[in-house]
This record gives sequence, structure tokens and C-alpha cells, in this order.
Amino acid sequence: MSHGEADGHDAGGHDFPPMSSVKRWFVTTNHKDIGILYTITALFFLVLGGVLALLMRVQLWGPGESILSAGAYNQAVSAHGLLMVFWFISPFAFGFANYVVPLQIGADDLAFPRLNAMSYWAYLFSGLLFIASFFQGGTFDGGWTMYAPLNVPTYMPNVGGTTVVLALIMFVAAVTMGSVNFLTTMYRMRAEGLRMRDLPMFSMSILLTVWMMLFAFAALLAALLILGAQHLIGVNYFNTDGGTLLWTHLFWFFGHPEVYIVFFPALGIMAECFQTFTGHRIVGRKWFVLAMVLVALQSFVVWMHHMFLTGINLEIKTLFMVTTIGISLPFDLMVFSLIYTMIKGRIRFTTPFLFSLGALILFIIGGITGVFLGAVVLDYEFRGTYWVVAHFHYVMVGGATGLFAGVYYWFPKMTGRMYDEFLGKLHFGLYFVGFNLLYFPMFGAWETPRRVFDYALPLGTWHKVATIGGFLLGASFLVMFYNLFKSVAVGEEVGDNPWEYGTTAEWAVSSPPPLENFEGKPSYASGKLSFRDEPELTADGSGDGGPGGNPSPDGGLASSASESSSDRRSDGGVRAESATAGGEALVTGPEAVAPSATGAAAAHETEEPHADHASIWPFVIGLAGFLTFLGVSGVQNGGAYYWLTGSGGVLSAVGFVGLAREPFHVPEPTVAEQWPFEGVENMKLGMWTFLASDVVLFGGFIGSYLFLRVANGWTHWHHAFVPEAHVTFPGLVNTYLLLASSFAVVLGLVAAHRNSRRGVVAALSVTWLLGVGFLINKGLEWQHLFHISTEAFPNGWNVGTNVASSTFYLTTGLHGAHVVVGLVMLMYMIPRAMNGAYLGDDETSIEYFGLYWHFVDIVWLFLFPLFYIL
Amino acid sequence: MTRLKLYSAIFVVLMALSTTQALVERTGMVDFGDPDAYWMAFGIILTLSFVKATFVATYYMHLRWEPRSVTYLFLGGLFVALALTTAAAYSIL
Repeated sequence: MSHGEADGHDAGGHDFPPMSSVKRWFVTTNHKDIGILYTITALFFLVLGGVLALLMRVQLWGPGESILSAGAYNQAVSAHGLLMVFWFISPFAFGFANYVVPLQIGADDLAFPRLNAMSYWAYLFSGLLFIASFFQGGTFDGGWTMYAPLNVPTYMPNVGGTTVVLALIMFVAAVTMGSVNFLTTMYRMRAEGLRMRDLPMFSMSILLTVWMMLFAFAALLAALLILGAQHLIGVNYFNTDGGTLLWTHLFWFFGHPEVYIVFFPALGIMAECFQTFTGHRIVGRKWFVLAMVLVALQSFVVWMHHMFLTGINLEIKTLFMVTTIGISLPFDLMVFSLIYTMIKGRIRFTTPFLFSLGALILFIIGGITGVFLGAVVLDYEFRGTYWVVAHFHYVMVGGATGLFAGVYYWFPKMTGRMYDEFLGKLHFGLYFVGFNLLYFPMFGAWETPRRVFDYALPLGTWHKVATIGGFLLGASFLVMFYNLFKSVAVGEEVGDNPWEYGTTAEWAVSSPPPLENFEGKPSYASGKLSFRDEPELTADGSGDGGPGGNPSPDGGLASSASESSSDRRSDGGVRAESATAGGEALVTGPEAVAPSATGAAAAHETEEPHADHASIWPFVIGLAGFLTFLGVSGVQNGGAYYWLTGSGGVLSAVGFVGLAREPFHVPEPTVAEQWPFEGVENMKLGMWTFLASDVVLFGGFIGSYLFLRVANGWTHWHHAFVPEAHVTFPGLVNTYLLLASSFAVVLGLVAAHRNSRRGVVAALSVTWLLGVGFLINKGLEWQHLFHISTEAFPNGWNVGTNVASSTFYLTTGLHGAHVVVGLVMLMYMIPRAMNGAYLGDDETSIEYFGLYWHFVDIVWLFLFPLFYIL
Repeated sequence: MTRLKLYSAIFVVLMALSTTQALVERTGMVDFGDPDAYWMAFGIILTLSFVKATFVATYYMHLRWEPRSVTYLFLGGLFVALALTTAAAYSIL
């Protein structure tokens, strides 16, 4: 929703420094740079989480060992789990995804480069926020599953506990930005002829991963926002009747897809490595892909197998046992496909292959031991024991094993140098032995209670072996880090494709690739990868659809066009020129700048402006988020926390305004495969994707209300918890106001279409006024309810009065926050409209704003009956 | 102009349906002591909400004129939210 004007001065940050410059890493929006940043940052969190794990293993060397107090152990085990699951594994995978996916699909960059950078900085600063929590009286100590009621303020009074919740909220924001970006990119920016079904295996795995992330993390966000509100404003949710079960539902609705979110990228890397190092296309590729799609869908209908020991009814337990055991079937297919690929091909035991094979073996063990937990009866025995710990480490760290295959597989591409093969194999040997020494004894010691710092004496031998394994596993990474550091400096230089059978498009460009990836436009229209120049493409016509043909992007050797690519300079270091080109640059979205019809320089008519790659604002916004959340975490304590919140808020405003006003050109491909979203511009698809995620967020809130109402008795709720003063009329008035405001936006779009500046200004202004009216009405209603004094509610009906008041204020409050965001957007748009923006073909900004505003309207259409009538 | 008339007509319908929802409440059907009447009112009122939401999404958000895949994307989110809500609520019945 942004607009920027090139007002004559050079837009700060558009000089793009070389990779040797520190500044480059703060301003870059290039996907390969961001990929490297993600990878390195994730490795940092691996080390942090690993050190915590080793502390735990030292504690568990023998029963009663006490280098950690019970409380410190609780913090270590919780922080280890959270850091590894959230801040290491997935971001590590998305380092590769950032680097490789645009290359594999033939795109110059992601659809929204600045959003990508913002996603990274939100990720990094969320991790720093987590680290800060250790210094706020102790970090979160309720386990990585954060079960209620341990997670509520009564049992977790430390500010650090609240900070972790806020860090997770910030992390989810990063994930959502990434999901929207990847989905838009992969649906809208594929090379000509590259059908969805033909995506390379890694890209396919990322596509399915981001789909799962889009919906699963939205449910987690709902849970976290509620938990954050419970800590900060005292709502009653997870401490009420049904509250503990509610948390479990919300968490595991996210948590089980998360297992596949973690594992799928590894699966994609394994498939790539199996193909490359057996020299054989994955056997049954179509069925492999279908199996992955099936797992992605099924992943959302298995979550209650984490709840077999709770009070949910037997029917639903049985149903979820069936779905859980059923999900192993498509995995079986994938496992056999990989095994058969080895049989059909000729294996070369390179380091990436060894890690891939190791991941497969570990995952098989993890999968088989998981089936035990999927059976209700067995789960009664195993729940809460080290069987679970061993099982999920075989799955999750088994997945990480596949990611380490990715490190070695793409290291030559990312650095232009080959790693030391001997050290790579040594790393694998130590890793694999250490891994199994660490985790397999846990099956033997399965009777050990999970998350407890002590255990029974007879289990001591198993735990000693596990501790030795843990240190061996940790030591293996010293070999890896040494190898990577050494090889970056003195490794043997490699060409475009160091792997004989590396066939995907990233191997058709230099190592490392040029800043904008390809000199010509990659195309699969002929059935194999080739590169075409722009005039040729222009002569061929538009990019909708493409000729189809019989592409084989994951098979067949790369085009010889790549042979000359190694001469190219790869780290950019260019100076963007488009930003200061004459005329007014009208922005149609945060990432898109198009020359206006009235003021564009003549140069634009003949030459597409160069893409921009640098912006400081994502970093600024990330830093602002850090300060704001850190301040909010302890805002109840006042003092420095107020200052932190205030300064973070101001910096946020500066950052977003700077981002909005910055001219930043991102060309959409002139020719691209865009099924099934032909004709839906990138920004519009991005907005719709975000809204789909927002549906799940609101769904989580509304679903929580309905769940708690069912848990407390539907009718009892109304009689016991809701005052007579809570009536329909204010809700009806607000329904009228919002519907009228939606209609006003529609009128604004019509006025823009008719080139009526006054019409646009009037429509947007009316929309704003109606939105403000909505908030005023809501404020009056709330004030009234806060101050009622009846026999049942002598002290008013406040946020924390009871579960009904909490659900009412928080759910409608979240909606109100959406209204406020919309009003802020309007405050930016109205002055611009006065200056003549949004007219004619530039009406899209109003359309995109309208999508958001109408969605907010739709949400209210359900809140109104649920909270005011029924 | 035709589109403007359509939008205006939809606005009138939306306001009317909202009023209808409130009127259903005024008839006394939303009576917790009479489960039959209550759940009938529940069904009517929420159906009206779905009808209104469909109008807004279809015409004001232009889904009518977008590729069908955009609708599926939006419905995907709705399906996920409904699946979570119904299965979770059912689990404690």
C-alpha cells in the first residue's frame, strides 16, 4: 500500500555495496544474500541450542547430578527446544530456500525483495529478543510445547517468560512474510514452460512447506497473541475451564504440521542429492510428489494424537489414531522411492549423499517409533517419557541431517569453492555415530520422565552413553565449521556445476551466481533449459501461460548457455539508477514502482529501469520491532520499559514511512509461467495470500471463543458471564458503519477508474470517517461495559472479569486493531490522493487496500452475531 | 455504470440482511430457554452472515472476476479455520 516519490535526491541505501562491505549485509534485499544471512544466523542458533543441550546432558550424566538447579534445567530444556525448533531448523532450511528456489524456478529474485529482507531481520531480532529473556529474571521454563496452565502468568511471573512469547510472535510475523513471498514467487515468477508439477524436488518441497507454514503458523499466532494478552493485560483464557485443552488444540494444530514443515525441506534436499549422486531421476517422481502433497494435507488432521491422554472423547481419539497411522503410508512410498532410486542408479558416496542417506536411515527409525505413539493404547504408556524424546529427535534431527546434506551440496554454488571431502566425510562419521549414541539409548531409558532433571538409578548407563554421544555429536560440528571456514578461503575453485549429474537450473549459472541470476531469460519451452534474450521473448508475446511443451526442468542436463557464465561478476556491487530517474514514481505496492503516466522520463519508455537491491528500512523496522517488544515485555514495570516501547514505536513509524516513501523498483517478469494465477498481479496475490492466513488467525480467535463457550456450557455462558447491559444495538450500528465504509471504498475505486480525483479523495475520506466512527462507537460501548455496576458485576465488566469478557474484548479488540491499521493506511493514501495519485491505471493501490478493508468487514459480519446476538 | 448499480444494490442488500439479523433477535427467537427456537435463530442468523460475507467477497473483493484459484486460496484458509474449530469443539462434546 505504499507510494513513493522520487523527490530529487538519491534514495538512501540504493547504492549497492560489494559483498566485502559490511554495509551490504544491512541493506541487501537480494535473495542470495538473504539466504546466506539466514544460513549463518541459523547456525548461530544451532550452537546456542546445542550448548544448552550439552548442559542438560552433563546434568543427566548420572541421577542427581547438579550442575543445573531444577529451575535452570527447566529453562535450559525449554529454551533448547524452542531455539532448535523455531530459530534453527526451519530458518536453516529457508537459508537454502532463499538462495536456491529463485534459481531453480528461473526467477531473478523473490517477488517482494524488501519483504524478504524484513522477514530475515524480524527473524534475527526475534532470536535476539529470546536471548534477552535470559537476562530478565529467567527465560521461559514451561517446555517447548508451552502447555497451559504452566504458561500463564501465575506460574510464569518472570518478564523473561513474556519476552519469549513476544519473540515467538515476532518470529511468526517473519514466517508469515516469508510464506506470502515464496508462494507469490513460485506461482507467478516461474520460467517459461516450467509447470508446477515439474518443479525441482527441493522447490516442490519448499512450496508445500510454505503452504503448511501459511496456515499452521497463523493458528500458532492466535495462540501466542492470546497468551501474550494473558501476560500483559490479564485476559482469562488458558486458566479457565477448558483453557488447558484449548492451548493444546491451538498449539498442536500448528505443532504437527510443524513436524513436516521442518522435515519437508530436508526431504527435498535428500531427493535432489539422491538424484545427483545416483545419476538417476527419482523413481516414481510423480507419486513421490503426490505423496508429499498428501502428507501436507493430512498434516492438518492428525494433531489430536498429541492429546490422547487428555479428556477428549474416545471417538475423536480413534479417528485421529486412524489419520495418524494413515499418514505413514505416503511416507512409506517416499522411502521406497528413494531406496529404489539408489538401486537403479550408480551411487557416488560424496558427503552430501552420505548425509542424505543418513537422514533417510534416521527418519525410518524415527517414523517406525512414531507409529507406536500414534496408537492410543501404547501412547498411554509412552506419553511423557524418553520414548517420545528419542522418537522426535530421530525425526527432527534426522531432518536436520538432510539439511546438512544441503550445506555440502550447495556450498560450492554459494561460495565458488569446494569443501574438503575428507573432512566432510569425517564430519558425517562423527555425526552419525554421535547421533545414534545420543538418541538410541533413550529408547532403552524410555522410562525416564521427560523434561525432568533427575531419573531412576538403573537408567544411569543409558544416560551416560547418551551424554558421550551428545558430546561426539557436538564435536562433529567443530569439524564442519573448520572445513567450511577453511574451504571458503582456500578450497578448490569450482565451475558452474561441480556435480556430474546436477541438473537443476542453479547448476547452469556461475558459482556463485550473478546478482540477478541469469543473463538471458531461462526457458523450458523447448523441453530443456535454455536461455533466451529479451527481444526474442518480446517478439513471442505475453507471459500468460507460455507454450507449454514438454519441459523437464529436473531432468536433462543444463544448457550449454551456462558455460560462459562463470566469467560474470557475481556479487553485484551495482549502483541502482532507477530510483532517481526523473518524474514521479508511483508505487502500486510496497515492492513495485512503475513510471507514472504523467511524469515518467522518456528514458523509461525505451528501457526498463534496473531492479533495486538495497534498502535500509527492513533492518530499521526489525530493530524497531525488537525495541518495541522488549519494552512491551515489561511495560507493567514501567521505567526503562516505557522508554524502550516508546522509542521502538517511533522507530517503527519512521521505518514504515521510510519504506513506503522509498522508490524501489522490482520488475515483474515479462514472460513467466503463472498457472493458476495468470492475470493476478504479484501484489494482489500477495495480499490474498496474507488474507488467507489472516482468516486462520481470526479463525483461531473465534474458534477459541466457541471452544471455551462449549466447554463452559453454551447457555450457562450467557446467563453466568454476560451482563444484561451487553446488548445488540452497538454491534448493529458498527455493522452499518463498516458496511458503509466498504461501500465507500468501492465508490473510491469507481471514482479512480473514472479519473475523478475529487471522487477518490471524498470516498477515501468517508471511509476513514466511518472507520473512526466505528472505533468511537466501540469505545463508548466498552466504557459503558467497564463501568456497569450490577449485582452480578459490581465492579464492571472488564477485560479480566471472566472468560466471556476476555473473549469478547480480545477478539473484537484484534478486529479493532485491524481497523486501526486500515485507518493508518488511509491517512497515508488520502494526502496522496489529493495530489492526484491512484487515478486511471494506478487504481490498484485502492483495490489492494479495499481487499484488506473488505476482509476486515467480513470478519465483523461474523463477530456481530456471535458476540452481540447469540 | 452498470457495475456501480450492482455495487449499490449489494450495499442495500447487506444493510437489509444486517437489519434482519437484529430483527430475528427482536422476535424473541434467541431464547436460551427454548432450544428449538434458539438453534433455529442461530442457523438463520449465521446463514445470513455467510450470505453477506459471500456478497462482499464475491463483488466488493472482485472474486467474481478473478481466476477461480484465488477463491480456492481464500476458501482454503476458511476450511482450515472451520476444521480446527469444529474438530476441537467436537472433541469435548
